[in-house]
Amino acid sequence: MNSTTLLFATITSLLLTTTTYAGEVEFNIDGVNDDSSKLYVQIFKGEENYQNGNAESATITKAKNGKASISFKNLDKGDYALRFFHDQNNNGKLETNLFGMPVEGYGFSNNAKPNFGPVSYQQIKFSVSDDVSKVVNESTVIY
Amino acid sequence: MQRRELLKGMGALGLGSMLINSPFQAMATPTQNLVVNYKDLFNRALAENPDLIGFANVEQNFAPQALTIEGSIPSDLNGTFYRNGPGKHERAEQRYQHLFEGDGMLQSFHIENAKIHHQGKFINTPKFQQEQQAQRFLYSAPDTKLNAPLPVSSADMINTANTNVIPVGDDLWALWEGGSATRVNSQTLDYQQQIVLGEQSKYGTSLKGLPFSAHPKIAANGDIWNFGLNPSGHIVLYHLSANGQVKNVKIVDAKYRGGMLHDFLITDKHLLLILPSLTTSRSTSNNQQGFFSRIGFDKTLPMRVLVVSKSDLTMTKQYELPAGFAFHYGNAWEERDGTIHFDASLYPSIDVLHNLSNVMQGKMSAANVDAQMAMFTLKPNGSASHSLLAINSEFPRICDYLVGSRNQYVYHLSSSNNSLWSDSVCSLNVDSGKQDKYDFGKDFLVEEHISVCPKNKEGTGYLIGTALHVPSKRTCLNIFKVENIADGPIARAWLSHHLPLGFHGNFNAA
Repeated sequence: MNSTTLLFATITSLLLTTTTYAGEVEFNIDGVNDDSSKLYVQIFKGEENYQNGNAESATITKAKNGKASISFKNLDKGDYALRFFHDQNNNGKLETNLFGMPVEGYGFSNNAKPNFGPVSYQQIKFSVSDDVSKVVNESTVIY
Repeated sequence: MQRRELLKGMGALGLGSMLINSPFQAMATPTQNLVVNYKDLFNRALAENPDLIGFANVEQNFAPQALTIEGSIPSDLNGTFYRNGPGKHERAEQRYQHLFEGDGMLQSFHIENAKIHHQGKFINTPKFQQEQQAQRFLYSAPDTKLNAPLPVSSADMINTANTNVIPVGDDLWALWEGGSATRVNSQTLDYQQQIVLGEQSKYGTSLKGLPFSAHPKIAANGDIWNFGLNPSGHIVLYHLSANGQVKNVKIVDAKYRGGMLHDFLITDKHLLLILPSLTTSRSTSNNQQGFFSRIGFDKTLPMRVLVVSKSDLTMTKQYELPAGFAFHYGNAWEERDGTIHFDASLYPSIDVLHNLSNVMQGKMSAANVDAQMAMFTLKPNGSASHSLLAINSEFPRICDYLVGSRNQYVYHLSSSNNSLWSDSVCSLNVDSGKQDKYDFGKDFLVEEHISVCPKNKEGTGYLIGTALHVPSKRTCLNIFKVENIADGPIARAWLSHHLPLGFHGNFNAA
């Protein structure tokens, strides 16, 4: 392999690597009802991690009336799921009532809504693939 | 924040929503196109049988009107009698399949200077507002499953506030049993908000959306006691002040799987949670039953009574009674040695619940003829006994100021001949066994009559309640002297139209 070939191979490899590992998810959350608190957002890779609560990444962003947008970058290809809550009282945790039901805003990817029971992983999963560099997912806060 | 903390904070999104939403989980089962058109069936049956008029849909609010008075209104009877019940049974081509599903409608009868004014208004709950705008039902109900319903993430999204109404401070609380109490303006009957109990106190939002039953008990000092059932078998207990401030809240693990718990009792020292012999069958993919229709009666399952201390809301004792079911209890009281007495309108099965579905499709099922007055005694040594009286009984009430104390009289409805609804008002002297009864006759469908006791002296005062006169399609408010019920009402106030048959009400003295 000459140097030109080597350089080309390296660049190709880098490009491929970039394509494979630079998946980005833009998560748009609509319906935020105040601007004095924060949104806590988690992304999960695969059902097992979702069920076990093992987040791939997590972020906290300032809440703003209306829409919020959060990006997760450098994601491997695969199936993912998002969930979030609006920490309305700024205590760092999702408040629930005495029977365990959330009493602060929350939501899921694909704008999935609980219906007489929790959302399933199948309802909230979406794919990050080689074909698309950025996946956009939308949700609305459930208050 | 570290990831671990973030994870901890969000755990409830998995588990919590499962807990809260399970009360009506059957409502989420897949929808099938209904072969049976309830609206069509009902309206065809109504054309044949005018007795069904009380279950017909109400289109609009009832504008205020002065009622036509027969007889004379007592001068010491001043205040407002409020009643609640389901009124919106149909939208577009959809008719609800169970009487308990319709949106709540309040009726107020304002009595002043021997005149009575009525108005009726739907409670403009979040559900009602949305569906009114859409002009169709948007959410499935406990038994009625829609095609493509909107998802329900909390019970209050489908809270119809349709079962009872109590005055609290200057407001009314319209009550359901699966979610929050609903605050309503006592003058205009306008919806205000779903109440977050204890929000301005240490409880914060921890009580938000919890079930608050439609049968709170108001003690003589005004304190409000109540419960709410979670299908996990846990029961939340409330002790509120007269103005609705939270004094204490606790959860007891009752391990009750019956799915429905409608009423309870208090004595001067205890709460009595009486758990009927009900079971809930599991929802399966090929089982299209709804929430109510999945509730069954198990004659091998004893009724259990949990005795809870009022002082700290902890369970102190349990009793087992023969299998039975009751929607309603009249009163409980306690002797010095701890012996507890209470009465129940006792059913031998849960058929009544399912008959309230049949009537929605126009079937003339007996709604309450099975209920018998039963008197129970719970001894401190753990033994229990009861006697079943040969008296048909539903909607039992006593003098308000005696709730939790020894009472001599229970006032109740009875059904002598009518196979659909009650037709008589009765007074039972529980000491002597003497009954006093007024039979309205076959033309009337009689609703709950309540005690109004201006002198706070049991055995005096009035019974007031509504009855639907089928031939004239009008509802009347009836006023009886409790001493002479058999003589019939001393006054009757007529509306120009009929009201939908409802459930419970209370009087707010002027």
